Amino acid sequence: MRKRITLFLLVAGLTAGLIFAQAKPAKVIAIKGARIVPVVGDDIETGTIIIKDGKIEAVGRDVAIPAGAEVVEAKGLTAYPGMIDGYSLLGLQEISGVNETVDNRETGRINPQVRAIEALRSDSMHIPISLANGITAALVAPSGGLISGQSTLIKLYGWTNREMAIKASAAMQIEFPAIRGGRGGFGGGMGRGGGAGAADATRLIAELKELFNKARSYEKRKAFAAKTQTVGLPGLDETSEFLLPVIKGDLPVMISVHSDRDIKAALAFVKDENLKAMFYGVEQGWKVADELKKSSIPVIIGSTYDMPPVWEDGYDQLYLNPVLLNKAGVKIAFSSSSASVAWNLPYHAAKAAAFGLDKREALKAVTIYPAEIFGVDKMMGSIERGKAANIVLSDGDILETRTNIKKVYVDGRDCDLSNKYTELLEKYKKK
Amino acid sequence: MNARLKRLWIAALILAVASLPAFSAGGSLLIKNGTLLTVTKGVIAKGDILVLDGIIRQIGMNIQAPPGVQVIDATGKYVIPGIIDSHTHIALNGTNEGSEAITPEADVGTVVNADDTAILTALGGGVTMVHTMHGSANPIGGPNVVLKMKWGKPSEDMIVNEALRTLKFALGENVKQSSRTILPGGPPPRYPQTRMGTNAIIRREMLKARVYMEEWDRYNKLKTSKTPPKILVPLRKDLRMEVLADLLRGKMVARCHDYQATEALEFMGLAKEFGFKIQALEHAWEAYKIADELAAAKIGISVFADSWAYKMEAAEGIAYDAGYCAKKGVLVSINSDSAERIRRLFNDAGKTMKFGGLNETEALSLVTINPAIQLGVDKIVGSLEVGKQGDIAIFNEHPMSAYTRCDMTIIEGDVYFDRAQYLKEREEAAKQAQAPKKGGRP
Amino acid sequence: MRVRQWAYLVPVFLIIFALSWSAPLDVGPTYAVRNAKIVPVTGPVIDKGTLIIRDGLIEAIGAADKVVIPDDAEIIEAEGLIAYPGLISAHTNLFLEEAAAPARAAGEAAPSPAELMAGAAAQPQSPQYAELFAFKNLKPRKSTLDGLLRAGFTTVLVAPNRGIFQGQSVIVNLNGEEPGPMVVKNPAALHINFTTNRGGYPSSLMGTIAYIRQSFLDADHYAAVQALYAKNLKGMIRPEFDPFLEALGPYLKDRKPVVFQCNNYEEIKRALKIIEEFKLNALLTHVNEAWRDADILKKSALPLLVTLDFRPPNGSKYVSQGEDLRKKAEAEIYPANAANLAKAGLKFALTTFGLNDAATAIKNVQAAIKAGLPKDEALKALTIQPALFLGLAQQLGSLETGKIANIILTKGELFEDKTQVDKVFVDGVLWKF
Repeated sequence: MRKRITLFLLVAGLTAGLIFAQAKPAKVIAIKGARIVPVVGDDIETGTIIIKDGKIEAVGRDVAIPAGAEVVEAKGLTAYPGMIDGYSLLGLQEISGVNETVDNRETGRINPQVRAIEALRSDSMHIPISLANGITAALVAPSGGLISGQSTLIKLYGWTNREMAIKASAAMQIEFPAIRGGRGGFGGGMGRGGGAGAADATRLIAELKELFNKARSYEKRKAFAAKTQTVGLPGLDETSEFLLPVIKGDLPVMISVHSDRDIKAALAFVKDENLKAMFYGVEQGWKVADELKKSSIPVIIGSTYDMPPVWEDGYDQLYLNPVLLNKAGVKIAFSSSSASVAWNLPYHAAKAAAFGLDKREALKAVTIYPAEIFGVDKMMGSIERGKAANIVLSDGDILETRTNIKKVYVDGRDCDLSNKYTELLEKYKKK
Repeated sequence: MNARLKRLWIAALILAVASLPAFSAGGSLLIKNGTLLTVTKGVIAKGDILVLDGIIRQIGMNIQAPPGVQVIDATGKYVIPGIIDSHTHIALNGTNEGSEAITPEADVGTVVNADDTAILTALGGGVTMVHTMHGSANPIGGPNVVLKMKWGKPSEDMIVNEALRTLKFALGENVKQSSRTILPGGPPPRYPQTRMGTNAIIRREMLKARVYMEEWDRYNKLKTSKTPPKILVPLRKDLRMEVLADLLRGKMVARCHDYQATEALEFMGLAKEFGFKIQALEHAWEAYKIADELAAAKIGISVFADSWAYKMEAAEGIAYDAGYCAKKGVLVSINSDSAERIRRLFNDAGKTMKFGGLNETEALSLVTINPAIQLGVDKIVGSLEVGKQGDIAIFNEHPMSAYTRCDMTIIEGDVYFDRAQYLKEREEAAKQAQAPKKGGRP
Repeated sequence: MRVRQWAYLVPVFLIIFALSWSAPLDVGPTYAVRNAKIVPVTGPVIDKGTLIIRDGLIEAIGAADKVVIPDDAEIIEAEGLIAYPGLISAHTNLFLEEAAAPARAAGEAAPSPAELMAGAAAQPQSPQYAELFAFKNLKPRKSTLDGLLRAGFTTVLVAPNRGIFQGQSVIVNLNGEEPGPMVVKNPAALHINFTTNRGGYPSSLMGTIAYIRQSFLDADHYAAVQALYAKNLKGMIRPEFDPFLEALGPYLKDRKPVVFQCNNYEEIKRALKIIEEFKLNALLTHVNEAWRDADILKKSALPLLVTLDFRPPNGSKYVSQGEDLRKKAEAEIYPANAANLAKAGLKFALTTFGLNDAATAIKNVQAAIKAGLPKDEALKALTIQPALFLGLAQQLGSLETGKIANIILTKGELFEDKTQVDKVFVDGVLWKF
């Protein structure tokens, strides 16, 4: 009997050891001989990156490789920081036409209490595909109504949703109407935002202000009731509860806003309410670029795979918009605005470059700029000492369609890049 | 003959040849100093193309412009054959006759709409020709039509008569109306509501068509026989059956919207059963699962690069589909199926370099010569070759680069899209908008 | 008298009776409209003229000093007034009893699945009303008649407006509320529209085109089989009766007029193809984009019934390329349709088709004139030209002896801003507003 128990323990221990050994990243990794594009700072023609305990320990041309390090020969490859998707539906949508698999739109117009992280499907088939294309982090946002809920910033590697959360609650999503394509547009757009219906932003802003004021009164009442103990507690006001962090400035808002008129109104609103804010969509942002610059509000560009909403703005308006915003000094980040083609993130950036955006700015807009916008630039967005080892090794320019991604490190872990695409391909290759 | 006469003859000959398809009424221009990606005959760095009266007359280096011919400077740019979109629904007044399942009498060629601004959208993406089609509401939809994107010309001038006549079929979720809600008290769902019913209804119509053809054969025989019967009741010409008869006679080819491997194989079985040709499967998101079978049957596919996972039947649509099938010898084209994607077919083609390992020329073929072959117009378009029509697009970077943009689109030697001109007009318009207006409201 | 003598008187009385039956029972007054300026349209303007109206017809017309005024004539002093032929609108949907849904123009979005379902459940639809006679559903109302007459219209064609094969129109004089006495010609024509049958087949324009073609093929086939049967009553299976195909018969066999409603310039070409295929005797109506097909129309020489409804068709490129162009389309481009047709030398009539009231129609005539349509062309397009197109040129369309006395007397020239219609005669009867 004891022999069997011992045998069992031995086998179990070995297995656990193996699993454990596989699961745990090598303590020190040296990526050697790669061309390094840190994004912040100059490119290094041939250099070495040292990863220790999931962080970037050193990066440079002549960096000593510690003994016992796992050496990754990266000659002929380029090292980039992992890309960051400024807005996606990853984990909230499997098959967009099958409602049972769609979780990004709650019913009702006012839903500050819903949190994307709580529905994030960590094993979505779309996440590894994006990861395999060099995207290591993404904002995942709910949508619909006026206040859609709380978006989350995740890394695209993890075994559970909570493990993936970089910021469980990244921003409060607010949506203003899309520009009506209708008679004037190029056949209308996909209408990002616009869940609030035909109402224009002015009325919606008034509604938001009312909600904010209500939340403030609610808080005051709660505080007073707590102090005096004799005054009755206010009944639970869910909306106010979950708006309070926004009002207090602890949680930024991401406002999905589209027409120039609405952008101006949104700028005033953010100022009035003293909110920490970022804007998403902003298709006519180029018309009010100076105002945006002055406000220091960053802009997350929507997908370039939309039809231009306003005829008079030209067939290339969605491509030129980020170019003009960037030129005016507005901080921009690109997004996939998708789940199933979230891996196209770099090509949206390249598209803007095709229409005049400086290529380096384009790269920054999928790396360091989104990191800064989401307040995680100390952790990621560039290959710099001290940051998380989110590193991509590619055989070419990461924004180019033909480039192949060879390795993706998230927190220093060499991620398995197999995904639905590769699995099915491998299966049928064996036919 | 004397030298002078000889010169006269030569001059006359040159004149005659130069004015050959005078009825093509196309334009003339000389593109100079670009990188020519001919697709079929290699790459020419610093190359020139001379188009006269709509036809490519010369490709080479240091070509002189004949007097009066517009010169387009393509220095630093990439010159490719005009992009061909093998599956779209633009420039039509309506795409689906969804009230019944079988409607081949409904011909999209009768509802071409030259006023559709999607034509302009296509031109901005370097597209010169489209195969615009029925949607996927019907197991048998009807004939499709191939158009040149000649914005501003009447619809009859856009139709490409050289193209194969194609008949749209559809299988799967759209046809069986999976997404429709049956209203209480409303009409019963339209048959078929399953994939088996879809196949059965196609079979039924083919059998009907056979009977129809036989009836007419008999009738014609009796009519022209030496002893016609006393009473020969005239037969009714049925437009619906006529189209199916044409398919069975080989005068039309089938283009079938399909997603799943099984439905593709079964449709191929139907084609075999009734002896009609499948030119290509549309979308074919599971083509990679039957690549060998498709290659053996010489059936092409017309697919997306990456737009998947929007329906259950698209849940296994891997981005390797196009590239993998191409490598396996299937004739692959990449299509847009929308006015949005038509703007970036070149980007989509480029993705097969990553997913499938296609090289630049193979990738570019997916939106040029391959769709041309599928549509039966490869003798006149699809590559930069002398004798083909002057359908040309000019890009500022290599078209397979994500950093590229289309700067000019030319159809039969006429410029239909010119980004420089467009930018100039926008500047003018902006200046006008800012200029103080004479009286009236601001 | 004795019985036998009475008997001889019977046939005499019968003969007198018979003669008197041929005379109208209701004889209105004879009129002499004196000293008016007369614009006959088909002849030179008479500065000071006189018209004699008797028994609904123009008995005489000429210079005031030349025309003899009959003793029984009521004299209408018309100095300062201008006499024109009453205007003809060669296509309307007036007075139809059922509140019929307006025909859907091409370019409208296809019905959603829900709409298709709802449509099918809601009301019985049909693409074919060919056996429908507009005359059967006429219910003229005085208020509408007043409006039309005040605008100068005395004759209209009324066509049904539902379905693809909409039915058979009637031409009426606006002389009262009783349909019978109004009729000038019935049926006038078969009307076809490029619309769809929401909720049923065909639900797409291409389906409609196929349906129209198949219907004509079937009508031909039907007629052939019927003809064969008539010769082989013994021994041949009796062909099934089909009222729809029966109704189409005369329009193929006898080449009775067929009116195609072409809502945009593409539909003109689509109609021409069908007309050519079946050798139809056709007219085109609506055609407010006809100028875009001027060359083709010149070759086909089909009568054009051009609507004064300037609203650009939904899918027109003029309304889908920005606000500025759309405004220009509505204000300038489409109102210039008729002017452009005139410039191209095409013959056309102007109609009130699609407009809510006659006053708007007149305003739009003014706009058309402003856009370059010569005034006399406008007048012709509302008088003699529609009369010619509709086969009424012997009876209407101008002021000539023997023609029906549909006459309007205006204060001011027609189509000027302040012009008013002072008096109207319809079928020789002075209308009481």
